[in-house]
Amino acid sequence: MDISYKRQWETRGSRRRAVPAEAPTSYYNLPVIHKAHWGWLVIIYFFLGGISAGSYVIATVADLFGGPDARRIRQVGRYLALGALLPSPVLLILDLGRPERFYRMLRVLKLRSPMSVGTWGLTIFGGFCGLSALIQTAEDGLFGSFTLPRRFLLALPSKPIGVLGTLFGFLVGGYTGVLLAATAVPLWAKNYLLLGPLFLTSAMSTASAAIVLVLVSIRSTSHRTLKRLERLDLIAIVLELVLLLAAKANLGPIIARPLQVGKLARVYRWGVLGAGITLPLTLLSVTMLWRKAPARLLGALSSLLVLVGGLLLRYVMVEAGHASADDPQATFAFARKP
Amino acid sequence: MSATIPLIDKTMVGQHGARPGAMGFLTDTTLCIGCKACEVACKQWNQLPMDNFGFTGHSYDNTGDLAAATWRHVVFVEQISDSTGQRATAMAPFQSNWLMMSDVCKHCVNAGCLEACPTGAIIRTEFDTVVIQQDICNGCGYCIPACPYGVPELSATDHQAHKCTLCYDRLDSGLEPACAKACPTDSIQFGPVTALMEHAQTRVADLQSRGVDSAYIYGDRAIGGTGGIDGNNAFFILTAEPEVYNLPAYPELPQDKVGRAFLTTFGAALALGVAAVVALRG
Repeated sequence: MDISYKRQWETRGSRRRAVPAEAPTSYYNLPVIHKAHWGWLVIIYFFLGGISAGSYVIATVADLFGGPDARRIRQVGRYLALGALLPSPVLLILDLGRPERFYRMLRVLKLRSPMSVGTWGLTIFGGFCGLSALIQTAEDGLFGSFTLPRRFLLALPSKPIGVLGTLFGFLVGGYTGVLLAATAVPLWAKNYLLLGPLFLTSAMSTASAAIVLVLVSIRSTSHRTLKRLERLDLIAIVLELVLLLAAKANLGPIIARPLQVGKLARVYRWGVLGAGITLPLTLLSVTMLWRKAPARLLGALSSLLVLVGGLLLRYVMVEAGHASADDPQATFAFARKP
Repeated sequence: MSATIPLIDKTMVGQHGARPGAMGFLTDTTLCIGCKACEVACKQWNQLPMDNFGFTGHSYDNTGDLAAATWRHVVFVEQISDSTGQRATAMAPFQSNWLMMSDVCKHCVNAGCLEACPTGAIIRTEFDTVVIQQDICNGCGYCIPACPYGVPELSATDHQAHKCTLCYDRLDSGLEPACAKACPTDSIQFGPVTALMEHAQTRVADLQSRGVDSAYIYGDRAIGGTGGIDGNNAFFILTAEPEVYNLPAYPELPQDKVGRAFLTTFGAALALGVAAVVALRG
């Protein structure tokens, strides 16, 4: 079988398949299933949607349990949740084949279609993000002192609103993984139990990293506040590492090939596992253990790395899925019971 | 010639979840002569544009794949060696070593594309077939990776998802689909799924009595229509392993995983919520 074979008459994409097939049975090494068309628009949405969802959750937890010290976390979290969410619908609508028909997603709700659930979740979560950000602007006095909108917003029950919004935040942070898993793509579907938790965990780690980065750059917070966020970041990164390794091991040698050979594997190994997880883990441990460390600098650096790692994680997961869909042997391995 | 078809559950052979009144295809590959009349008839009736014109080198298959403008695709497999790996020196009992099979949308009893569709553009018709309503589809593309057989595809022309409609307009007028009408050997047969399935079982028994031990039905609960799909309304009689025709042996309905996937995600949300409280508390 010619491994370097390229389907030149195809319009669907002229990139060489990343995964060569060695097994004997195949139809000219052609893909069995069709791959999704998702590219950077969706990858960036996965990243921003995660930051938004995680920021909202962190802001609510800081509001409920953080005490007066966590005021800054709540403030930045609420603004960041809205700021990261605003581009999301734009990215998703631009990704549609017929963008002007986007509203047709809102004519049905299908609980077994993660994209339908996610559309509604994102719409409702957007409302909560906007409301909580408005309440925050009122608390920050951006509406003047005694105006009517300010009094109205301050009269709203911001804590119950935060709790309800957090439920939808978890949905928005996690449904993206379920969306990938509920397909016939071997690399995604095989890990259907792990992709949702993985994306949600990454949402939390990238969100706390983003909040740290903002707090450090506006230089308006105490060392202790930062420490709390870094603690959360540390827990999320460790959980992320465990989930990633479990997911990789669960794939088996044939389906895991996009993560083992080629460009994607290098991005996965050095970008996601190395720069995105191991390096920030080391930096955060150093600031925790060594008291004289330049905590703000190291915190900012590790946050930056976590953000880059989170983006690369989305990139690798989406692109490895495309490579997996193009690999007939992966589909055959997935669709053949022992 | 008797390739071993790995049937896990032989009691499921011929079992099918088709609803009353379901119409479908039986594509009997032992009768296919590879004339591609089905491909042409489909393009003509449905006014589908041509594919990229070229030479693939894959036997007589210059079509390549089912796609947005290709709803029938004839597969050509020139088998050089027999099932033992030796070059065949004798003609097989019924069919030569040149396999041909006209692939098409399977019109699943439980369809992955239909369940994935977030706009409700993909519907089940009164004939139990699966049709994409072109005036609703917004080209989100989620049905494309949701199909375990690789059938629907986004069109580069109108950016919407397209696939076989089982000639819904012809059925509505009491006509059989264009491909079945045009097939000169009756390799493609159209009719009520229950009747076609009975016929398929008789045909497989007949083939086996003539020495084609490897003949079997693809698209029942035993193979092809497995994993919650509960059977294909368009099914096949094959004589080699499904992979030879680029078909998955035991596909699964992707949406059967959604509930459990959301459950673990909910568990992770609980754990992360607790972690956030522990890390951020004052």
